[in-house]
Amino acid sequence: MKSKRQIRPVDFYIFIFTMILVAIGLVMVFSASTPAAKNQFNDIYHYLKQQLLAFGIGFAAMVTASFIDYKIYRKAAFYIFGAAFILICLVLIPGIGTVYNNARRWITIGGFDLQPSEIYKFAIIVLFARLLTEDKIKLEKLFKGYLPFLGLLGISAFLLIMEPHLSGTIIVMLIGIVLLFAGGAKLWHLAVTIVFGGAGLAAVSYYIEYMWTRVVTWLDPFAYAQGEGYQVVQSLYAIGSGGLLGQGAGKSMQKFLYIPEPQNDFIFAILAEELGFLGVAVVIILFFLLLYRGVKAAADCPDKFGGLLATGITSLIFIQAVLNIAVVTGSVPATGISLPFFSAGGTGLVMFMGEIGILLNISRNKGKEEIPK
Amino acid sequence: MARRTKKAKKPLTEQVKRKNRLLVLLILSALVAAALLARVAYIQFVMGEELRKSAYRQQNNGRILSPTRGNIYDRTGNELAVSVAVDNVTVSPVVIKNTSNDPAEIAEKLSQMLGFKVEDILRLLVKDSEFEIIARKIDRVKGDEIRKWIDNDHISGVYVVSDTKRYYPNNELAAHILGFTGADNQGLFGIEAAMESYLKGMPGKVITEVDKNGTELPFAVKTEIKADDGLNLVLTIDRNLQRIAEEVLAKGVEENKAAGGGTAIIADSRTGEILAMASYPSYNLNEPRINPVGYEASEWDGYSEEATDLLSKTRWRNESLSKTYEPGSTFKAVIAAMALEMGVVDLDDIVDDYPVEVQGHTIYCWAKQYPHGEETFREAIYNSCNPVFVKVSQDIGIDRFYEYVDLFGFMDKTGIEIPGEENSLFHSEPMEIDMAVASFGQRFTITPLQLVSAYNALANGGYLMKPYLVKEIIDDEGNIIERFEPEVVRQVISEETSDLIREVLEGVVSEGTGKNAFVPGYRVAGKTGTSETTEEDVYTASFCGFAPADNPLITVLVILDDPRGDSVYGGVIAAPLMGEIVEKSLEYLQVPRKGDEDYYEVQALVPDITGYTMAEAVSALKDSNLEYVIRGDANGEDVAVVYQNPTAGELVSEKSVIYLYKNLPEEKPFVSMPDLRNMTIGEVKNALAGLGLNIRIDGSGICTGQEYSSGTKIEQGTVVEVKFRYLDTVQ
Repeated sequence: MKSKRQIRPVDFYIFIFTMILVAIGLVMVFSASTPAAKNQFNDIYHYLKQQLLAFGIGFAAMVTASFIDYKIYRKAAFYIFGAAFILICLVLIPGIGTVYNNARRWITIGGFDLQPSEIYKFAIIVLFARLLTEDKIKLEKLFKGYLPFLGLLGISAFLLIMEPHLSGTIIVMLIGIVLLFAGGAKLWHLAVTIVFGGAGLAAVSYYIEYMWTRVVTWLDPFAYAQGEGYQVVQSLYAIGSGGLLGQGAGKSMQKFLYIPEPQNDFIFAILAEELGFLGVAVVIILFFLLLYRGVKAAADCPDKFGGLLATGITSLIFIQAVLNIAVVTGSVPATGISLPFFSAGGTGLVMFMGEIGILLNISRNKGKEEIPK
Repeated sequence: MARRTKKAKKPLTEQVKRKNRLLVLLILSALVAAALLARVAYIQFVMGEELRKSAYRQQNNGRILSPTRGNIYDRTGNELAVSVAVDNVTVSPVVIKNTSNDPAEIAEKLSQMLGFKVEDILRLLVKDSEFEIIARKIDRVKGDEIRKWIDNDHISGVYVVSDTKRYYPNNELAAHILGFTGADNQGLFGIEAAMESYLKGMPGKVITEVDKNGTELPFAVKTEIKADDGLNLVLTIDRNLQRIAEEVLAKGVEENKAAGGGTAIIADSRTGEILAMASYPSYNLNEPRINPVGYEASEWDGYSEEATDLLSKTRWRNESLSKTYEPGSTFKAVIAAMALEMGVVDLDDIVDDYPVEVQGHTIYCWAKQYPHGEETFREAIYNSCNPVFVKVSQDIGIDRFYEYVDLFGFMDKTGIEIPGEENSLFHSEPMEIDMAVASFGQRFTITPLQLVSAYNALANGGYLMKPYLVKEIIDDEGNIIERFEPEVVRQVISEETSDLIREVLEGVVSEGTGKNAFVPGYRVAGKTGTSETTEEDVYTASFCGFAPADNPLITVLVILDDPRGDSVYGGVIAAPLMGEIVEKSLEYLQVPRKGDEDYYEVQALVPDITGYTMAEAVSALKDSNLEYVIRGDANGEDVAVVYQNPTAGELVSEKSVIYLYKNLPEEKPFVSMPDLRNMTIGEVKNALAGLGLNIRIDGSGICTGQEYSSGTKIEQGTVVEVKFRYLDTVQ
């Protein structure tokens, strides 16, 4: 018995929090999508069926990943990144990338829409975790260590902007920064990067018209309620109608075609309308608790690669959730960004659940002594 | 040891450092999460109220439920204005666009059912809007047809909404009192406008949850606030009296070619209730905007501003209160009342109508060449002598004179319900000459309604009553919600003065200038009026009075504006109209006639005796108080009447002669119509009897007109209508 290799337990909280979020997400997808599904497909279950399928795949991916030793990603890091990099290049080629809402973001394979930028988010985490654990790379050094990472982020940003996928770009940038921070980058390097990055983003927003329009609309969405500000205004109507306890599950009015595609990026507004402030609080706290357990797993992992991978995955989910909620509540200028575990869309759910699987696997290493090299 | 420590320390430092940085990230994340939660709280609890309202507005489609407008009844419960159920057809082009129905097919079908052009409907159906009106106020039958089609063919986006339409069952009857309504059933004129707040009711609302396209949600929450129907009005008007007033007025205006039309008012002398109020020309309330005479229907748009303006000034105008005029001698009754009230003169005091000079103007009696000379004040009233009234008014004094004018209500609007009452116009700082002229009713203007009010006071013991048209407000079950009682404005003169005026105005009709208003059996009192307007040769002829003189029930005023016929004098043309209104009204009110039976013609209906034996025929005629002449040469018991003249059913005077024929005459006996002009009633009766003609008498005095012109060949037995008027009473 003793000789048999014992499988260490996963962090059960990560699993539970994820499953609760996914469960609420599925209910919300169903509730939010019924009018649109009825309107477009005359089948109120259309989006629910798709999401349930993605959930099935995602669950399998999660369980599988939780049993696959995460160290495999370190070995495969360059292949994973290479593949993801090729995909985000390919998606830019007309004929391969599918255009939807003026953005070329999808590759359709066998009726399934694959979003390469979702994969890329994971790939960059794996790549950074690998590179940051390479002994040859000295992060403290500016030119030989820090700047090449920024260069990688720059290239990624360029390719993602080409789609365009602004929110994807921002997330990749933020994850990069978080990983560099966790990976031990010098604080002044990071500070300068953030200051210049922020200033650069502001400058770019000012000179690119469509981005500037979004900033102006963000400042007073009600002045543009019939145009650019429409979605945010409708979203605010929904959230505002929620109150403390909400209208009740399934009782949203704003999902009746007022909010376009309420099952997608603006699903949080429907959640706020139906479940009220209490529902919102539960979801935000769950996301934070998930972050907490993820960060704890990262901290408890004696292996630096595992720690960085866990940090990357955890912060990806949290950053995306925060950005989505910030957009939906009109707290930042609007950009298309989905809410992890909630928004309808197969790639996202499968990716996020798979990533949670990896996180679960990392969490098995709690308290293990790091094997000295 | 040192080595081990060093070895153990290095990875520890690395992990601790990472842990510390992760702690920083965790804290930052907690702050961000808290900030987002705060933001949501702000949206839900601070902005919430406002956002909820805006959201509610866009999510709910309110459909108005129109209330049914209240009905209007006359005092005996006859319907004057009612609301009938009709339908409006509306469409939602946005909804149609989102459904599988072809707009062209819908347009085609609607055009078939409504009789509109397909293109016109289609143009509305393809508009980029959420609401268009296709047809307004169509018959319920048609609306139901469309409803059935919508149900059977599952049409979305086409709606039939019930509405009501105003309908006036009596067409032009009381048009100027009732007024009419606009497209939204809102009162525009008359009582409809004045009593809008009672008639209108409260609209209800159905609020339904809809999606962005305006389509009702499945299981939508519907909130229905029922419409509160309008209340019904009972007017003081009597439909029959109104009809009498209108018919007599129309006849009078047409016969006397009154270019400016005319007015007739019947009021309850005691209460001020208006029983009838007619203006000529009138209009059909169901077609108020139809083209007037002189305008082609094809070139007439009744809804245009010019048309509305024109109609408001002409046939829509209620002349009883929206037009002012100079009352002329009818005003003398008011002056007489002030004088008697103040005691400046008694009825039996001797006065004279010799010319009087005021501020350089000499005022003569109308009988300028042959003044009446010395006479009693009573006779001066009978004769309507201007100089007498000038002198009396001077005795009253200018201040008291105008004070009384004011007390009689001539300076104020009467306050009747319907809008549009005109202001009277008097000299603001009157001089002697102004008062002198005013004493016989000239150079100031009042509304006909003001004069009727003043005459009510003369008749009823001195009480100025507020004239009114609305008697009761009732609900649909007939329960009285509000009742309007007669309102005394003030007592102007004493009961005693009123008694004297009643007596002397009865004398005007029985012996003086008002003889043409005389009605046998009824005691009519009143005063004539003829005023020259500020326009040359344009006169206003009027007569105002009341009856019965001993206990007045009704006050009647008739005005003919700008008569262009044989006479312009109120005593000649307005008085008989007033008399006719009084006679017909009192008959309708079942007031028994008293005394004076010799004066009035008892009428008889000619029985149908054709086919009777002679004996039977004679007995039937005797029963009807008719005379007879038998013609023809057949003998025997069973010889029957084969022909009669006048024919059965004709209304004739008692003792008229009916010609009976035993066999059909080869040539009916014709006589030549004589010229009766200027003969008295007796002379005319003799002349016609001598020719074997029957007579129907209109009025009294001397003959002023005959039905057939002289020389016309007419059959013996024919009833000839002959008009008699007193011509010596021109004022």
